[in-house]
Amino acid sequence: MGVISAVGNSVAENHKSLVEGLCGIRNEFDLFPTKYAELLPFGQVRISTADLLKKLHVTDPGVTRTSLLALHALNEMLQDAGLSPAALSSSETALAGASTVGGMCLTDELYADANKKTDGSPYTSSYDCASVNMYLQKHYKMNGIINTINTACSSSANSIMYGAMLMKNGFAKRAIVGGVDSLAKYTINGFNALHILSSEKCTPFDEDRKGLNLGEGAAFLLLEKEEDIAGKKVYAELTGFCNANDAYHPSSLSDEGDGPFLSMQGALKQAGLSAGQVSFINAHGTGTENNDEVESKAMLRLFEKVPAFASTKAYTGHTLGAAGAVEAVYSILSLIHQEAYPTLRFKKAIPSTGLVPVGSYKKMPVQHVMSNSFGFGGNCSSLIFSKV
Amino acid sequence: METAELKKQLKQQIVQFLNLTSVNPDDIKDDEPLFGEGLGLDSIDSIELIVLLSREYGIDIKDPKEGRKILVDINTMAAYIEQHRTK
Amino acid sequence: MLYIHQAYCISPQKTFQDVDLQELHEPAEKRLLAIEPLYDGIPPGVLRRMGRAVRMGAGASMPIIKNTAELDGIIIGTGKGGMEDCIKFLNQIVQYEEGLLAPGNFVQSTSNAVAAQVGMMSKNRSYNTTHVHRGHAFENALIDAAMQLNEFPGSNYLLGGVDEISDFDYNIENLDGAYKQESISSKDLYQTDTPGSIAGEGAAMFLVNDQAENAIACINAVNMLHSQDLAQLEKLLQQFISTHIPAGEKIDLFLSGESGDNRTLKFYTACESLLPVNTPVARFKHLSGEYATASSFAVWLACYIMQQQKVPGNMMNGPVEVLAPKTILLYNNYKGLQHSFILIRKN
Repeated sequence: MGVISAVGNSVAENHKSLVEGLCGIRNEFDLFPTKYAELLPFGQVRISTADLLKKLHVTDPGVTRTSLLALHALNEMLQDAGLSPAALSSSETALAGASTVGGMCLTDELYADANKKTDGSPYTSSYDCASVNMYLQKHYKMNGIINTINTACSSSANSIMYGAMLMKNGFAKRAIVGGVDSLAKYTINGFNALHILSSEKCTPFDEDRKGLNLGEGAAFLLLEKEEDIAGKKVYAELTGFCNANDAYHPSSLSDEGDGPFLSMQGALKQAGLSAGQVSFINAHGTGTENNDEVESKAMLRLFEKVPAFASTKAYTGHTLGAAGAVEAVYSILSLIHQEAYPTLRFKKAIPSTGLVPVGSYKKMPVQHVMSNSFGFGGNCSSLIFSKV
Repeated sequence: METAELKKQLKQQIVQFLNLTSVNPDDIKDDEPLFGEGLGLDSIDSIELIVLLSREYGIDIKDPKEGRKILVDINTMAAYIEQHRTK
Repeated sequence: MLYIHQAYCISPQKTFQDVDLQELHEPAEKRLLAIEPLYDGIPPGVLRRMGRAVRMGAGASMPIIKNTAELDGIIIGTGKGGMEDCIKFLNQIVQYEEGLLAPGNFVQSTSNAVAAQVGMMSKNRSYNTTHVHRGHAFENALIDAAMQLNEFPGSNYLLGGVDEISDFDYNIENLDGAYKQESISSKDLYQTDTPGSIAGEGAAMFLVNDQAENAIACINAVNMLHSQDLAQLEKLLQQFISTHIPAGEKIDLFLSGESGDNRTLKFYTACESLLPVNTPVARFKHLSGEYATASSFAVWLACYIMQQQKVPGNMMNGPVEVLAPKTILLYNNYKGLQHSFILIRKN
């Protein structure tokens, strides 16, 4: 595994922050000039783009912050996995990634190029979501199936699913799966225009929640088949997954939460688990009025007794296209260390649901973790990781 | 500006701003609900109408929920504009 | 891999209602713009919000939604999604200096807007995903559909590819060298010896499942490559043919994505020279223009050719007539970097 987020530049650093309750959301934004730097809290990764370029020894032109964050996390994962260059370049190794922002983090350059105000910045082929994985493929000379998914906030959960399916259906022997997104003026203004950003640090599942905080980050995981894991370090098993659609509204979930309910139910079914066997849910829990209430209702519909749950977005902010993968890593950390991380700053339950998330760090038996990601366009995905 | 003229202008602005290409502004009744039935607008439209009120009439509505109370129909919108416009 | 039962295409040619490929529609201001239908099936309240990509994707999906009792998933490939809406929102950010902005463009600009809108219009709560890997977006969507069918036999999926030209994206792509600087007629596309192609756009949507009966065509194999190395491409083609096309079987048609770009011609020529002698070659980019998901147009075209049992004259490279083709090998590359082979057989 490899991860970079507002709470750490590595799995170990992220883990430490999760255990110690160290929030990464701050009012110290300095990636690019924006009116909102002073006004809103963000989950910014604590390395500047210039420093990322240096640290990663990247000298190619046209490499965006999004690609750099991805490379950082991928490097960590490759080191952790000890994957040989030959295996990495094998046609049997797939790369299933995700991004919603792509190179649009360079909002000003995009504006200039799109309106022909320049002779062309170095980024004219770097704006789309695919640019990240195109870069990673080139950087590592990868020869298997390469893909990028964009289903908004559920993107990297879907890329994890896609990688697993490629392996299951004989298109790949192993799959590098994950996603990335970096903070961008484009998304800051987009979410702000929808009135779903909070001017305070987010409080998922709280009665007084006021919205989400945007974050950035990247995470990659290596999926291997059961027959190939002998002698290797194994963190967890991906035992279930499901993608369903709410089919209700472009940017909010239905009151009954059909999409979330169906994705959670489907993941359980695939895992062959009953609802009662889920130890913990890493919820989508963005801190918006709509998501948290609907997700709660869907949990109440599905689970006779809702298991322990929490949202780690209170630590990192909402990392959009990276969320599914970052939270997959956190779910796996829960399994490895048999612990649950709290929903920071939670005070009072939503009156209509009465559900109380985990409020402080605790050790607990964790056998199966469900991780939810629900996005614009009604795209709902749930993953289940199990202890090995 | 007379109320009748304001309402006529408002209907045209709404149709243009929300790109309601199949709607003739003059066909919108003054008391026809904007949301739900009637014109059938949704929550994204309510935010867009708040933007319209700001850009065209200098009216600042901070909370979309407050906005829904004003954006009931053309009558309520026009009344609110007359009271609060700064442009 | 999967069977195609319905195929609809909105493109720069007459491919949607009253299909007629004899009459070649030409570029306007160096762009092959899609001929958009009236979109009767899309409620006006929904249509008014849609950008072109979403409109075309939704429009081409409507007949399938109407004709199919139950869809088990919607799987879309798009290179850029709603780029026009994206830049419109961006322009608002600049014009209003990050002030109060109207969110409609932002919501419609996301790549998954096509799949989302189609899902909402059909009230479909099942599998819904959007692949955005540029020149392999449609190919990944296709593989995804095949895998879903393996996992859930007896299901039906809406599979498609869509991309739009927008003024803004045209500017970016132009700066990137993707398009010809000179104005040309589509008829002359393959005679030019200059870099770049013509901008194109379109939406091709398919109903796919694992039932052979009554299928229009069958996609038997897909393979992709990221490379600028000619030798690697040649090796892949040889492997593809030896793996998927038995020795006695004739390739009735090689459907080539040759784009008029003199920088990528070598890939197409190399593939053609590896084929059995006298394999008929047809080209399609003078019809569709160049865009990330142009291979979806080509798959639609292959279905059309199989149904009509002949190839429109203006597509053939050479004075060959192809009748009743049963095996079509499609090769396409996007910007000489993302290559794909798709094997399509008549059912």
